[in-house]
Amino acid sequence: MTRALRIIASNPMSLAGLLLVLLIVAAAIFAPWVAPFPTHNTAVIDFAYANQGPSARNWMGTDLVGRDIFSRILYAYRISLGLGIVVLIIAAPVGTVVGLLAGYLGGWTESVLMRLVDVFLSIPPLVLAIAVLGVLEPTLTNAMIAVTVMWWPWYARLVYSIARSEREEGYVLAAEVIGAPTAHIAFREVLPNCLPAIITKMTLDMGFVIIIASSLSFLGLGVQPPTPDLGSMVAEGARYLPDSWWMTVFPGLAILLAVFGFNLLGDGLREVLGVDE
Amino acid sequence: MTNRHLLAGAALAAATALTSPAFAQSVLRLDEVAVGELDPAKASDYADSILMFNVYDTLVLPKQGEPGHDPHLAESWEVDGATYTFTLRDDVSFQSGNPLRAEDVVYSLERMQTLGQGLSHLFGGVTAEAVDERTVRFELEEPYAPFVASLIRLPIVDKALVEENATEDDPWGEAFLSGTGAGTGAYTVTSHNPQDETVMAVNDGYFLDINEAAPDEVRLRYSLEAATVRTLLAQGEHDIASQWLPPEVIRALAEDGAQLFTESGTGAFYIKMNTARAPLDDVNCRQALAHAFDYDTALRMVAITDEVSSGSASTGAIPVGMFGANPAEEVLTRDLDAAREYLADCPTPPEDWNLEISWIAEVPLEERFALLMQANFAELGISSTIETLPWALFTERVASPENTPHISQIFVNAVTGDPDTLLYGMYHSSTPGTWQSPEYLDDADVDAALEAGRRGPGEAEREAAYSDLNDRLMELAPTIYGYDRQSVFAASNRVNAPALSDPDMAFGVDGMGFSFRLMEMTE
Repeated sequence: MTRALRIIASNPMSLAGLLLVLLIVAAAIFAPWVAPFPTHNTAVIDFAYANQGPSARNWMGTDLVGRDIFSRILYAYRISLGLGIVVLIIAAPVGTVVGLLAGYLGGWTESVLMRLVDVFLSIPPLVLAIAVLGVLEPTLTNAMIAVTVMWWPWYARLVYSIARSEREEGYVLAAEVIGAPTAHIAFREVLPNCLPAIITKMTLDMGFVIIIASSLSFLGLGVQPPTPDLGSMVAEGARYLPDSWWMTVFPGLAILLAVFGFNLLGDGLREVLGVDE
Repeated sequence: MTNRHLLAGAALAAATALTSPAFAQSVLRLDEVAVGELDPAKASDYADSILMFNVYDTLVLPKQGEPGHDPHLAESWEVDGATYTFTLRDDVSFQSGNPLRAEDVVYSLERMQTLGQGLSHLFGGVTAEAVDERTVRFELEEPYAPFVASLIRLPIVDKALVEENATEDDPWGEAFLSGTGAGTGAYTVTSHNPQDETVMAVNDGYFLDINEAAPDEVRLRYSLEAATVRTLLAQGEHDIASQWLPPEVIRALAEDGAQLFTESGTGAFYIKMNTARAPLDDVNCRQALAHAFDYDTALRMVAITDEVSSGSASTGAIPVGMFGANPAEEVLTRDLDAAREYLADCPTPPEDWNLEISWIAEVPLEERFALLMQANFAELGISSTIETLPWALFTERVASPENTPHISQIFVNAVTGDPDTLLYGMYHSSTPGTWQSPEYLDDADVDAALEAGRRGPGEAEREAAYSDLNDRLMELAPTIYGYDRQSVFAASNRVNAPALSDPDMAFGVDGMGFSFRLMEMTE
């Protein structure tokens, strides 16, 4: 652990990533206490302060119904991070099991599973998510489902390629020779060797999931008003450019910071865990 | 200077001389919400009306700055009970060159009635007959007081041309007229894409004199983003923005030096409740919402500058200034206590409402009203969700009561300037499920008052009928009567439009201020 921290700390970019992520996670967790206007995450309206630029009262200005944009960004981080965590917690294990089975077992299991993965990968992710949301109703839960549906194949592909090369390794052959059950070899022997790559990818993906979720709500398909969401805040503010720039710029920056932070941290982790590109 | 330079200079001068007529072409650029319906028999919304009033003409035109109508394609008319006889001008020809005849008028009416779309409901029970080439006689099945006013929605099409282009499967030439103009209007259609842009050019053969300074070409673009219009106008690449821009954007443009055009089309902002779906099928539930709505804040939201606002306080179902309107000082206000009392009598408990509040995607202002309502109703403990519907999807959804959202936000205007055309289409039980009538109201008293209002014949009878109607509509509360409205357009200083800026030149009919022949380009 100390070694890991030392490696991350030795690289200023990784350190910046770690700090950014910690800051964003803290902001999300403590939003109700940190936000200057903790009630502004709902359908509150205060037209006396509507459409005002950044000021001492509202650091990032207010939106068209007078809600504090800074407070709403903090709450939006809750949604974004929550969504990212749920999506990855479902997508990563599903993809990992599929990839592991395909990579270790080979044969027709490999053919069937990996062709299925190819089918999913061949559809542009955003289009697939829009299709899913078109069938279901656009809500937060369905947005999670949509993003998960498009996300697991990437883990399957990653784990598959590692498992395939690992299956020729001496320790796997040794386990096979002494008659270890297939499940044991796959999950106890091969899987631990895939974990560093999976964890690195999950960290990197956190940023991308946030972007995709924001894109969906930018298109009006994700989180519905009045719940704050970075994507829908950008979409709403974009109509009032360039005059009311704060409505778009700050939520946009918030997305950028989150994605940037997770990417830097992911790069740092890659180094710590010794994952190859 | 060498000879060669001289020669080049001369060539350049010649080239300039040759191309200068092209520079003199004045172009007016404006935008509206898609779809731009070019078939005049199907025209109903604002974009359609702009197209119709420029490409086609009507027998009469509203007087500018005062009530009443002037003859236009007609020379004069006589009324005898329910019989109206019009004499046509003899100097009018269509853009195709065909002369205007009485049979064109008859054909236009029949075409509209048969297709049964757009504003054809104005002409139910009307028959027309060509007495001779220049005389046309209308017979009304039952008296219809605002008949002359309604004629501004009967554009005259070129019968010979349409019939030439009609086919067996398409006897009324719908395919032809959806992409081509066949009118007498001051502007001809150069190109038309209903989702993208319509380009029009001035018609040199128009039967009236057209102002020299009127635009030679008009480009009407559809569904531009507010930020795009904002930028284009600021850069001098756009001339008149649609009225659907959010007030903040109009305000910002005005601060940058844009002029503000206004048009009072005798209409209002209506928040319509689907009376065919629980919980809003109960009058108490509807009254609770109508009393919980914050009318003052709504008005503050639509103020643009200190002088110009898109709204004035609502007094009831009928806008101030029309037959049957309540006095201007009896404004509707929020009354939460009354709302709670009504809610107590509403059979559905507030937490089970799950109200769908929709807003039209092309009108960003409505999103704020959606949020306002959500907050207002939440104070009563009513749960709601907000739904964004593009206009095209909305008009499709309202066709059946179960797909119609609980709450729809609509700007409605009297299409002929007469209250009948504002109210009949919204509230008569025979016209449910159009964009004007997502209430699905079905009430015998309302129907009776609406019928009495259009029967007339005198102004006193009409006033009484609409006054009764107003009372009944306040009792039933199918709608939250948001505010009386006027349209505000931000415009560049390249264009003068007296009909949109001088009250003495205003038509009092929505969209007619956009008669391009009356506009002037100053550059």
